Amino acid sequence: MTAPVSETATQALQEDAPIEKPPRGAPWWANQRIGLLVLVVLLGVLFGILRPAFYNQQLVIFPLLRDIAMFTVVGLAQLCVLSIGHMNLAVGRMAAFSMMLTGISYDLFHLTLYSGLLVGLVAGTAIGALAGWVIARTGVNSFVVTLALDFLLLGLIPLVYTGLTDNAAFVTKPPGMRELRNYSLADVCVGNVCGSPAVPQLALFAVVAMAVVGWIYARTRLGRELLMTGSSVKAAELSGIPTARRVITAHAMSGCLAALAGFMLAVSTGSIKATIGEEFMLPSFLGPILGGTLLAGGFVSIWGTLIGTALTSVIRKGLDLLGVGLESLNIYLGLILLVALSTDRVRTVLSERQEVRRQ
Amino acid sequence: MKRFARSTEMTLLVIGIVFFIGLVIASGGDLLAANSLRVLLQFLAVPILIGLAQMVVLAVGQLNLAVGAIGGFAAAAMGVLMADHGVSVPLALLIGFLLAGIVGLLNGVLVVLTRINGFIVTLATMTILLGVQYRLVGTRTVDAYPQGLKTFGAAALFGVIPWIFVVALIVAGLLAVMLKRTVPGRQLLASGGNPIAARLSGISNDRSVIVAHTLSGAILGVAAILTVASSPGVNKSIGGDWLLPSFAAPIIGGALLTGGSAVVLGTVLAAFIVRFVDTARAEFSLEPSWVNFVVGAVVLGSVVLGQVRTRRQERRSVVKSPDVAVAGGVS
Repeated sequence: MTAPVSETATQALQEDAPIEKPPRGAPWWANQRIGLLVLVVLLGVLFGILRPAFYNQQLVIFPLLRDIAMFTVVGLAQLCVLSIGHMNLAVGRMAAFSMMLTGISYDLFHLTLYSGLLVGLVAGTAIGALAGWVIARTGVNSFVVTLALDFLLLGLIPLVYTGLTDNAAFVTKPPGMRELRNYSLADVCVGNVCGSPAVPQLALFAVVAMAVVGWIYARTRLGRELLMTGSSVKAAELSGIPTARRVITAHAMSGCLAALAGFMLAVSTGSIKATIGEEFMLPSFLGPILGGTLLAGGFVSIWGTLIGTALTSVIRKGLDLLGVGLESLNIYLGLILLVALSTDRVRTVLSERQEVRRQ
Repeated sequence: MKRFARSTEMTLLVIGIVFFIGLVIASGGDLLAANSLRVLLQFLAVPILIGLAQMVVLAVGQLNLAVGAIGGFAAAAMGVLMADHGVSVPLALLIGFLLAGIVGLLNGVLVVLTRINGFIVTLATMTILLGVQYRLVGTRTVDAYPQGLKTFGAAALFGVIPWIFVVALIVAGLLAVMLKRTVPGRQLLASGGNPIAARLSGISNDRSVIVAHTLSGAILGVAAILTVASSPGVNKSIGGDWLLPSFAAPIIGGALLTGGSAVVLGTVLAAFIVRFVDTARAEFSLEPSWVNFVVGAVVLGSVVLGQVRTRRQERRSVVKSPDVAVAGGVS
C-alpha cells in the first residue's frame, strides 16, 4: 500500500545506483549468503581456538542453538512483512500479547501445553491481521500503524498482568514445558540411533517455521503474490492480485510467527511475563537484512535469515565467553551491522564493474 | 486565517485547551497553583525537544531511531566529564552538545555514503551508542556534578515558567525560523517533499539529508543538557524511553512520514497533549501504562483521521474540477 518510510529521500539518492541485489551470473563471492556463512564458520573456529569451552555441548552449543532458533523465528516474523515492503515494529509486543493469552489459558482454563500454544498462535495471527487490516483499509504507513499498536499493547499488557496475576507473571506451568526446555535430540531415539545432545528440541519449531515459510514463498501462488505486491503495488494491482488482502495476510503471518517466537522464549526462560519480546526488535531486522532480504520488499531469503541470525548469535556468545560485558556487546553488534552492509554495498559495486568490463 | 482554522494545529490547540480546562476542573483548581504549573511545564521541555529532533529528520523523509541513544550518550558523557574528570560545567555541556551533533552528522554521512536505508543506519548507531553509554556510566548513577547546574534546572521565571522550558521554546522558535525562512531550511523541505524536483532545481539532496541528521543530533544535544540539569543524576536508562514519544509528537502534530512538512507548532502542541494525558493519569492515580495505551490510541486515531480527511478533500476537488480529473485519468 504505502512505500516504506524514508524511501523518498533514499530513493532519490539511489537513483543512479541500481537495487542492491547482485545481478544474475555475478561471481560467487558477490553472493552475500556464502560470504556470511564463511564468516560464521571462521568466527566459530576462531572462538573455539581462543576459548575451547566454546565447543561445550551442554553449556554453550545447546543454548546457542536455542537462541539461534528463537531469533530465526523472530527474523521470519519480520521477513513476512518485509516481503511486501512493510515493517512490523510491534513484533515483540505481539509476542507478549499472544503469550499473555497463552498464559491466561494455562492459568484459568488449565489447557495443555500445545493447546495453549495454539491459543497464542491464533491470538498472534489475529493481532497481526488487525494491524494489516488497518494499514490496508486506511493506506497509512505500516511503520506508524505498528508503532501505534506497539504503544497500545505496551500500555494494555501490564494492565492485564497486574489485574490477573500477583507477581506480574503467570505461574501455572503445564506439564511438558520443563521437558521441552531441557530435552535435546539425544532424547529422541529411533532404535539405537539417538540424535545429538547439542541440538535442543525447541529448535525443531524453527525448522518447521522455516520449512513452512520457505514453502510458501518458493512454491505457492500466495508467496509469489506477496513478493509481487512487495516489488510494485501498482503492477500487482493491475495484474489482478488482491493487494489489500495480501497486506493483511503478510501481517497475519508476521503476528503468528511472533507468537511462536514468544512461546519459544517463554519455554526457554520458563516463565510467561509481560516483558516477553522486549529485545526482539533489533534482532528481527538484523537477521533478514544481513541475510539479503530487501527492506523495500519483493525479495526474501529464508536461509539468509538463518545465517544472519546465526552470525549475530555466534558473535554474541563468543564475545561473552571472551569476557566482554554483555552491554558492551551492543557496540560490536552495531558496528558489525554497519560494516556488513557497507561491504555488501562495496561488493555489489565491484561485481557490477566486473560485469561491465566483461561485456 | 481560514486555512489556519482548519489546520491540524488549530484542532490540537482546541483539544489541548479543552483538555487543560477539564484537568483544572477535575483537580478543583489545584492545577493552576504556581507549583503545579511549574511541574507541568518542567517535564514538558525534554519531550518537546525529542519530538522536534525526530520532526527534522521526518521532514527530509528519513527517520532517526537513535534519538534516545544520542541523548542518553550525550547526557552520560556530560555527567562523567563533570563528575569524574572535573571539567568545568560550560565546557562539559559544550562537549556533550558537540558530541551529539557529531553523531547526528555521522548518521547523515553514513546514509549518504553507503546508500543504506536510514532506518538501518540509525538502528546500528542506536545499538552502538547504547553500548557506549553503558561503558561510560555502567550501573552507577552519576550525580556528583556542580550544584549550580541543578539550580538552573529547577529555576523558574516568575516562579512559574521553568528556564529549561524557555530554552526548549527558544530551540523550537529557531528551528521554525530556520525551516521556513532560511535557504538550507527551504532546501531541506524541498528535498523531503519531492527529491527529484529538488535535484532538478539544483538542490543537493545529499546535503539536505546530512543537514537534517546533524540538526537532529544538535537538538538532542540540547535535550541532553536539559536532562542533566533537571534530573537528580545520570544513569544508563536515560533516553531509554524516548523513541516512542519522539514519533508520537510529530505524527500527532501532522508531520508526513514521506517528508516535506515542517510542523514545529504541531509537534510542540502534541507534546503538550501527551503531557496532559500524563497529568490526568497522575490526577486520577491510574497505572502508568494507561499513558502508553492512550497515546497509542491517539496516534492511530489521528493518523487514520488525517488520511480520511485527505481522501475527502481529494474527492471534493475531483468533483469540483472534472476536467482535471479526466486529464489525470488519461495521462
